[in-house]
Amino acid sequence: MNKIFLDAREMEHPEPLQISLSHLQSMSKEQYLYMINVRKPIPLLEIAKEKGFIYFTYQDSREIWHILISKNSEIVLEELLDV
Amino acid sequence: MFNQGGLSLEQAPPISVVLRFFVTASIFGVLLGLFLVADSLDLTASINNKQVIITHVLALGVMASFMLGALFQMLPVIAGVVIKMPTKKAIIVHLLFVVGLLIQLYAFADTSTSLLYFLASAYLGIGLLYALYPMLKELIKIKDHSSSSKGMIFALGSFVLVIFLGIYLLLMLGGYVDGTLFIQVKELHYSFALFGWLSLLIVSVSFQVIEMFYITPKYPIWMSKYLTLKIFVLLLVKSIAIFMGFETELITAFLALLFMTYAGITIHRLYYRKRPTSDATVWFWRLGMGLLILSMFITLVDTIIDINFEIKMLSYLTFIGFALSIVFAMTYKIVPFLTWFHLSNQGYMEAPMMHDIIHPKKAKIQFYIHVAMLTVLAISLFFNYFILNLLSAILVLVSFGWLLYHLIYAMKKYHYTQKHTKKFEW
Repeated sequence: MNKIFLDAREMEHPEPLQISLSHLQSMSKEQYLYMINVRKPIPLLEIAKEKGFIYFTYQDSREIWHILISKNSEIVLEELLDV
Repeated sequence: MFNQGGLSLEQAPPISVVLRFFVTASIFGVLLGLFLVADSLDLTASINNKQVIITHVLALGVMASFMLGALFQMLPVIAGVVIKMPTKKAIIVHLLFVVGLLIQLYAFADTSTSLLYFLASAYLGIGLLYALYPMLKELIKIKDHSSSSKGMIFALGSFVLVIFLGIYLLLMLGGYVDGTLFIQVKELHYSFALFGWLSLLIVSVSFQVIEMFYITPKYPIWMSKYLTLKIFVLLLVKSIAIFMGFETELITAFLALLFMTYAGITIHRLYYRKRPTSDATVWFWRLGMGLLILSMFITLVDTIIDINFEIKMLSYLTFIGFALSIVFAMTYKIVPFLTWFHLSNQGYMEAPMMHDIIHPKKAKIQFYIHVAMLTVLAISLFFNYFILNLLSAILVLVSFGWLLYHLIYAMKKYHYTQKHTKKFEW
């Protein structure tokens, strides 16, 4: 699986949503989006869910959110978590 | 729209709900500019109550319109409040509000027809309360309040009080009720309108958007948690003092100090934002907060020593400047985002990016016009020259005209994309 990494921690609204949506639109089944952010991006997750993507979210001890999204429903995103 | 901390975008209303009110606000702003131009050319001599008319065009036509649009958009996503049938509600509120306001303005200008005051109070009262009742009802139901949602209760609660006090004043002007409490009610009407509804709404929204839009450090807990409550309680205490005939200077001084502290902390937070570059919306926030400090400083001084009329007017002007600055900041942030977001979410492949809808340079031009407008208005307070009055009126006209043009452009872009571009298959 190829990782598309997006560090959105210092991005101003709505850049994280704008960039991650464009990644989702062009993403293949062999890719997944790995985003880190200071907030849980609920709007992005709702859109991803509505469009048939799977996602996994995790907040680490530094309160940073790790968001993994993929089109491939056969993979276990939790295993790709990098903390 | 904005909340990325647990709330939903899916509950956001259609873009038409928001733009309907924003466009209306800009049109009233343009009409205000035209009125001021006519006034500076001495063409309004036969019109009564010009100051009252200007105040209500600004407070209701411009500010309330912007804020109604923003509330329809933000309540679902900032506070999780679901407003059922938003399009239908917005159309009814919009119609009653605009008709009511036009009747009210005509009543102020004419003054001889009692029925107009009654009709204005009915249309405006029903229209605004029809919008606010479901919003407040749902806000109160929230179990786990954020600083923003709690502050919004106080802001909307203040707005409801302003409306009832306004209805009373209109009925009194129409001769339907006796006017023994006119002075007290009038003071409460504008105190709750300026310090309560308008300022509390801006403060509440800022607790959410400053940190999120501009990646700033968080507001101190003592401020985000308690400031709106303190202001609301002070306003209630002021109301009691006014009706009991006590002096209210001390309460006003406290209010001024609280707003100055809030504005100072907001500027401080914006100074420590992580991005080195600033777009126009950041400058609007900085300017707005600076103007709030100036306005409240004059208000504070006024509670201690007597200040002259021009300085008092400067306090009002800077307060209007503060409120308009924040409205512009929010509009130039909200409209491009909503246009892009709705199109993108509908699956339009060639949805224009935010800077194609309203380019940041256009917002910067709005900022320069705004600063020029406020500067000339401030100078014209002290030097009553024809050319300064005319220039300031033209700048008001240009400022709202510029905004109106970009709102219409965004709407056109939205409809053009829907009509002429293909949908993306996810």
